[in-house]
Amino acid sequence: MFDPDTDLVKRAGAGDRAAAQALMARHLPKMLSLARRMLGSQSEAEDAVQDAFLKLWTHAARWTPGKAKFETWLYRVTMNKCYDRLRKRPAANLEEAADVPDPAPRADRALETADMSAEIEAALAALPERQRAAIVLCHHQERGNVEAAEILGVSVEALESLLARGRRALRSRLAHLRDG
Amino acid sequence: MRDVDDFQNDAQWVGGALGRLSTVPVPAALEVRILGDFDRLTERRRASWLAPLLETIWPGAPAWRPAAALAGALAVGLAMGVLVPLGDEASATEQSASVMLDAPPAFEIGENS
Repeated sequence: MFDPDTDLVKRAGAGDRAAAQALMARHLPKMLSLARRMLGSQSEAEDAVQDAFLKLWTHAARWTPGKAKFETWLYRVTMNKCYDRLRKRPAANLEEAADVPDPAPRADRALETADMSAEIEAALAALPERQRAAIVLCHHQERGNVEAAEILGVSVEALESLLARGRRALRSRLAHLRDG
Repeated sequence: MRDVDDFQNDAQWVGGALGRLSTVPVPAALEVRILGDFDRLTERRRASWLAPLLETIWPGAPAWRPAAALAGALAVGLAMGVLVPLGDEASATEQSASVMLDAPPAFEIGENS
């Protein structure tokens, strides 16, 4: 299995700063986007991604190609850092995050893109974390089902079940946007 | 009972909705923090690689002392090598000694017997 990151990871493990910078440039935007969608908070997402990269720098010297694709491993680390943060949150915050804006007053007018984005984010935040993770990986990060299942540490069937439930819940929460 | 079309519709709709999410900008400060972690870790690794050598040179001393002693000794050695010329007399003596050692003996063993 060809992994385009293997050489960069080896060099970064040997202390090559340029390789570390190249790895960061290649993966940081996707990692941050994933963490942002999972956590719903920019500052927490930045901290989670920084933690994930710290783990990468710590393990790069011992990275053995062939076991798993590097990017899959990095996604998994980032996802676990997000779970850690979600579990540390007080219950009140989770309830706040689950609050979806009342769609009724907005149904009869076109929504601004930013508003719509905020509504979708809020609806996403209200999903249970495993469903949210499955939806974000497959629909936002465009990972295949096999890779997404590997990242989440579940079978493909379990992933498909999470996806089906998550999609249905998201669609019903955002029913007012269907025609938008 | 939901059929396959329903699932496909849900998938398409969710894909479209998530496509409307605004992109997440990457702040330059975050890049600096991440690379800062890399630099700190690399520095620590280098220090730990040097530590046994420094402990041999100056046991128990803080790391900078044996490092400074080693660097000082290297500098003095280099300066001596570059600045102190070899004397002519010394080289002439060395040369004649080497000629004498290389030359065949000037007597025969059996001559005086």
